[in-house]
Amino acid sequence: MADETPLLDELEKGPWPSYVTEIKRMAKKNAAAKDLLGIQEQSYKDRVTHWKHGGIVGVTGYGAGVIGRYCDSPEKFPDAASFHTMRINQPAGWFYTTKSLRTICDIWEKYGSGMTNFHGSTGDIILLGTTTENLQPCFDTLTEAGFDLGGSGSALRTPAGCVGQARCEWSNIDTLGLIHDLTMEFQDEIHRPRWPYKFKIKASGCPNDCVAAIARADFTIIGTWRDALRIDQAAVQEYVKKGLDIQELVVRRCPSEALVWDAKTQELKLLVDDCVRCMHCINVMPKAVRPGIEKGATILVGGKAPIIKGAYLSWVLVPFMKVEPPYDEMKDLLRKIWEWWDENGRTRERLAELIERLGFKTFLREMGLKPVPQMVKYPRSNPYVFFDR
Amino acid sequence: MAEVTDELKEKVIKYLETVPHAKNRDVARALGDEKALVDKAIAALAKEDKIEYIYLGASFVKLKGKKMVD
Amino acid sequence: MGRTDIGPPDFHEMLPDVIKKNYGTWKYHEIPRPGVLKHVAESGDTVYTVRAGSPRLVSVDFIRDICDIADKHCDGHLRFTSRYNIEFLTPNEKNVDLIIADLKKLGLPVGGTSPGISNIVHTQGWIHCHSAATDASGLVKAIMDEVYEHFVETKLPNHVRIAVGCCINMCGAVHCSDIAVVGVHTKPPRPDHDRVVAQCEIPTTIQSCPTGAIRRHPDQSMKSVVVKEDLCMYCGNCFTVCPAMPLADAEGDGVAIYVGGKVPNARKPPMFSRMVIPFLPNRPPRWPEVVQAVKKIVDIYAANAKPYERVGEWIERIGWEAFFRRTEIPFTEQHIDDFTHAVETYRTTTQFKW
Repeated sequence: MADETPLLDELEKGPWPSYVTEIKRMAKKNAAAKDLLGIQEQSYKDRVTHWKHGGIVGVTGYGAGVIGRYCDSPEKFPDAASFHTMRINQPAGWFYTTKSLRTICDIWEKYGSGMTNFHGSTGDIILLGTTTENLQPCFDTLTEAGFDLGGSGSALRTPAGCVGQARCEWSNIDTLGLIHDLTMEFQDEIHRPRWPYKFKIKASGCPNDCVAAIARADFTIIGTWRDALRIDQAAVQEYVKKGLDIQELVVRRCPSEALVWDAKTQELKLLVDDCVRCMHCINVMPKAVRPGIEKGATILVGGKAPIIKGAYLSWVLVPFMKVEPPYDEMKDLLRKIWEWWDENGRTRERLAELIERLGFKTFLREMGLKPVPQMVKYPRSNPYVFFDR
Repeated sequence: MAEVTDELKEKVIKYLETVPHAKNRDVARALGDEKALVDKAIAALAKEDKIEYIYLGASFVKLKGKKMVD
Repeated sequence: MGRTDIGPPDFHEMLPDVIKKNYGTWKYHEIPRPGVLKHVAESGDTVYTVRAGSPRLVSVDFIRDICDIADKHCDGHLRFTSRYNIEFLTPNEKNVDLIIADLKKLGLPVGGTSPGISNIVHTQGWIHCHSAATDASGLVKAIMDEVYEHFVETKLPNHVRIAVGCCINMCGAVHCSDIAVVGVHTKPPRPDHDRVVAQCEIPTTIQSCPTGAIRRHPDQSMKSVVVKEDLCMYCGNCFTVCPAMPLADAEGDGVAIYVGGKVPNARKPPMFSRMVIPFLPNRPPRWPEVVQAVKKIVDIYAANAKPYERVGEWIERIGWEAFFRRTEIPFTEQHIDDFTHAVETYRTTTQFKW
């Protein structure tokens, strides 16, 4: 128990809102939150973590959604000795009614520490810290209220998407509709880990990629378009009139030299075949330039953080896919990927690492996809080539 | 896909009696059954509270109450 | 047993009316001032968004506080962004100032719009993680205090996305951020042989090592492992699968700083962050060396990059050699890659700057 927290008190100073203040707020009325504060102060003194590996914790029928956590000094911090996390699947796009949020707050105040993350890195609501005994009743109450657990372990992790067409004119696909549909379709894959390791799906409505899908998802969905971006010349002229240096800030920044500014006619011309749909001109002049009309998504695979064999950015698998309910083409592809990875992947091997080990060619054959130049930055430079004759 | 039978569930339990824990794939290989069907059997057994999932850097299943490696 | 596999609530139930009505028909947006967005739909409808910073680790009472604001001014709806910001949406322009005033009373900053520094994506750290090599929430608080002006104002050449990962698992796009602060161990794991027997599977533990540094114990009677220390890169993978291989160490643990990563495809394609400072000590509660290093990189970027250049684009233009010279960060043998795909990073041209 920590009544004095001189080190953490330092983090209540300064203009940015303080998480220490938040723990203290809860510590006044919740013993687990008070011990969490004590454990954090202890770590600040010792400069090491005081949490141990998980173990078996969960709710009946699920193998995911709960992260077991035990303190290494239970005698000192008995009220946070077991301090498990529950991951609650967020509504797509992180929209809430205050009624639903207040319900979660009431449940968590009753069954847990009262501390939360809105949200965790993957996108779930994180309810931080409860006992083993409270897990099942807390879960039962949450499902009664219409919420369910998200993914963890060697399972499909909670899919996430950007705000999409709910409030963004750039979104080429309905990320909320898609993410909700995939989440509902694959509940079993989210809740019962059965694969070599984790698998993540993220969807961004445009190549700005606000949910970092290309960096963080094994299966990356990025909205794009096949035709030409739409330019409103009058609106372009409006930007120029207001002082935008269009030649320097738009035309010169275009990565594929696909724009030409005719200062005489005050016209911005697009060389359609040269445009790589990077979003820069749209970002600079949102009133004047818009994505095209023939919308869909590029599907990329393999993105992941460094553990184990280094970080990967997702690479192009399907240059263009229509994204419309019931999303069968995408679901079929996902199932095919999972089957192949599940059959061939070693324990803790992510999709990218397996593809690298067995070869992209093998993967394409298994998926029934034809190689196209959009999949590579450049073709092979070495002469070590297989021919199956 | 075939349905999960009581016989298959029994086979899964018998196998898990012989190991501390296993990945679903190891169970399917040991039984010679289709992986997707074994996944379903394991899910059913989990709902019946006969097996549970554990996390040791990756997820595994084990018989409920069976002693872990530790 | 209650209900299972019901999934999350349908998002449609959560949407404010103006969003429901204009779903998929937004036309353009403006940023009338930092922290405020104005979206206009084909129908002519307008929605204003007020964006506020959050410490992310919050009590249920904090959530109730922001619900009060949403009940008062936003018909009982709110949303969060992928960087933990809270967004209050209203079709009524007059509500914007009222929302901002109420946020001020709670001490929450309004900002996070482009081009500036939005909230720091981060992990759990010492708050909740067994493999953390540093804290996350405290580092974030200390850094955000220092760069606060860039949250509430928009005066940088482009976004600067900052992330904090408390170990090299890097949960959270840390590997593709403009500035990434990553917890690192620098001492090998110490197998506790009695516990290895009891708690670990030896083949799994050996296989977990990406550099092949873990071997069976030479004494066959010892059912344990040994670490070849000259091969160990302190990644902590073995500790993840075998709790009897602890490597946390008060002196050995600290943070590294990576820069120049980006996620969007705008202009240059997405890039990885690259290591510029291999190690700074853990100095809680406010990590002064780390905060100063981040501040200095932001300042030099702000003074030198062209409009719309992200940190990585700026560095590619001036060259890494120029980056190290301008920031006065020493270049060491740790900066030269010797993991997988290292050779791809060596310079294969005579083009470089002095």
